Amino acid sequence: MALTVPVRLGTAENTLIEQLNSVGAAAEAERITVAGLPTRRVESYHYTDLKMLLKAIPPLAQAANEASAPALRIAGAYQLMIANGVVQAASTAPAGVIVGKTAGGVLSTRDDVLVHLNGALAKESLTLTLENSVDPVIQIDRRIEGEAAHAADSVKIFVADGASAVILETFSGSDAAHVGNHGTYMALGKNAVVTHVTVDLSSRSAAHFASNEYHLADGAKLRTLVIHAGAGLSRTQVFPRYEGAGAHGDITGLNLVSDGQHADITMDALHAVPGTTSQPLFKSIARGRGKSVVQGKLVVARDAQKTDAKFMHQGLMLSDEAEILSKPELEIYADDVVCGHGSTCGKLDEDSMFYLESRGIPTAEAETMLVRGFLEELVDPIEDEALAEALHGIIDGWLLAGK
Amino acid sequence: MTTPILEIRNLHARIEDREILKGVNLIIPPGEVHAVMGRNGSGKSTLSYVLAGKEDYEITDGEVLLDGENLLDMEPHERAAAGLFLAFQYPIEIPGVATMTFLKAAINSQRKARGEGELSTPDFMRAVKTAGTELNIDTDMLKRPLNVGFSGGEKKRAEVLQMALLQPKMCILDETDSGLDIDALQVVSKGVNALRNGNRSMLVITHYQRLLNHIVPDVVHVFSDGRIVESGDKDLALQLEAKGYADFDGAAA
Ligand SMILES: Nc1ncnc2c1ncn2[C@@H]1O[C@H](COP(=O)(O)OP(=O)(O)O)[C@@H](O)[C@H]1O
Ligand SMILES: [Mg+2]
Repeated sequence: MALTVPVRLGTAENTLIEQLNSVGAAAEAERITVAGLPTRRVESYHYTDLKMLLKAIPPLAQAANEASAPALRIAGAYQLMIANGVVQAASTAPAGVIVGKTAGGVLSTRDDVLVHLNGALAKESLTLTLENSVDPVIQIDRRIEGEAAHAADSVKIFVADGASAVILETFSGSDAAHVGNHGTYMALGKNAVVTHVTVDLSSRSAAHFASNEYHLADGAKLRTLVIHAGAGLSRTQVFPRYEGAGAHGDITGLNLVSDGQHADITMDALHAVPGTTSQPLFKSIARGRGKSVVQGKLVVARDAQKTDAKFMHQGLMLSDEAEILSKPELEIYADDVVCGHGSTCGKLDEDSMFYLESRGIPTAEAETMLVRGFLEELVDPIEDEALAEALHGIIDGWLLAGK
Repeated sequence: MTTPILEIRNLHARIEDREILKGVNLIIPPGEVHAVMGRNGSGKSTLSYVLAGKEDYEITDGEVLLDGENLLDMEPHERAAAGLFLAFQYPIEIPGVATMTFLKAAINSQRKARGEGELSTPDFMRAVKTAGTELNIDTDMLKRPLNVGFSGGEKKRAEVLQMALLQPKMCILDETDSGLDIDALQVVSKGVNALRNGNRSMLVITHYQRLLNHIVPDVVHVFSDGRIVESGDKDLALQLEAKGYADFDGAAA
């Protein structure tokens, strides 16, 4: 047996070990005992050192007694709710939507601490089967209520061949120092068309973690949009797997960070078969001493010829102290592919500001216009008008808050 | 005597350590169109930017009055609301902002600054449609992001459209003829001429005489090395065209 230097465990790690043991997840507890939470030395957590950032873990969540107001209301949406990890009773589902629940978590095993924790701690999962195209937006309202709690929840979605749907997930809750760990597994059937928007609107004192795993069959088209606009610390991991010819993903995301916030979107995509395409596009806006991290990894399997994928990140710095970090990674085993990455980062363009102001538009309003313009590429493709409007509302709210 | 719309007295401006405007004096009474001609690099665009309030420049001396008000004390958006309009030599492309959205924001910001109510959407649409027809601008073009992918001619027509909608007192047109073919030049000139009236003044900057056949000025000024070195009627432009700028350089000394 190899000798390893034991890591020094902190308060957060000790609590996690206790919690994992209390739910019988001895293997996961052992993993943390041996390795601790990932530090900057772990490649995929290089910019989001959980050991440093997670000072304490609140007690495991108890059932919620009260619910705060919905973080976002979309007119006409079909609403589902998970509160403190417990799937709530749902109203009658639209035609072709089957709602259920299943024990345990849903994410595929992978070497990632957040995925392990979700698997060990999620007691039950909401399951959604979409047998045909669904008109209303499906909103899954995931929240953590009451005293500060560590809550894990999970959702599994099957989209039948040829079906289409718009699914919105919102994350919110009471104003306490929660740690949320959310998992979503989605399988898209052949030629399914899905828009999946996930918006973190939890309180500034909370930590928000989400892992979204997607499996795309032949011809499936997926558009995702992650928006971080709430928690003090947030990380959403996006794991798309293009498993059928012609599958396409527009994987997008936006970190809106203010002073003291740290937001991280980490994509790890696998183009597994020939003839799949993706256009990952992420944007960061940071002000104060806010920190935004965007990582994008494209893995192209040996026989996944004709893969066409480009990772793009664009950052907008609204202050000198803000930090925007981006890391692309290409791991390409096929030889006949078009893959790339690009990244830009800058301030609001002075010439553009002057042009708008020279037409009588005051400075603050001109800034808002330019920021909205910068983000239009992300919101514009969302075809549901009520949803697009709600997303504009979140962005405007962030801009207006000014800090 | 009526108050001039624009009065520039001994204006000096520098960028970093370099003095570019070296004592500009200019008075434009209401309703007059003045042309400023000068070779490339003489400081014409600098003059227009300084008047519009671009912050890269340091004003080291002089005074500018817009209809009697001290222009240099105002922010760029206040200057616009006070009635100053600059048609840019190179209009800026702004991705993600629909031209229509921008026009509405500009009009309503100026109205608000002047204590007037917002324009209703139907009134706004009507105004845009009317002004657009004159300039061959259809609503499809206005749905596109501001100036993004516009041809040279479209950009200049869009500038004149803004001018028509904002109804400024004082229009500065910086090389409005650059990048225009003869047809586009005619459309743009017609649009500008339609805005000429007894109260509105214009400063037309160009380094070719060509534009002045279409927008006929009341006064022509020759600009050289950061100041006006000669003024005359429209024939001065023809003289310049024939003799070149070299003859006027001495006057600056
Ligand atoms: N941002 C700048 N920094 C330094 N010099 C500048 C800048 N902008 C213009 N200049 C210089 O100022 C002079 C006048 O330029 P400009 O006003 O654009 O002239 P014109 O419009 O008459 O061609 C030129 O010599 C130009 O190189
Ligand atoms: Mg110029």
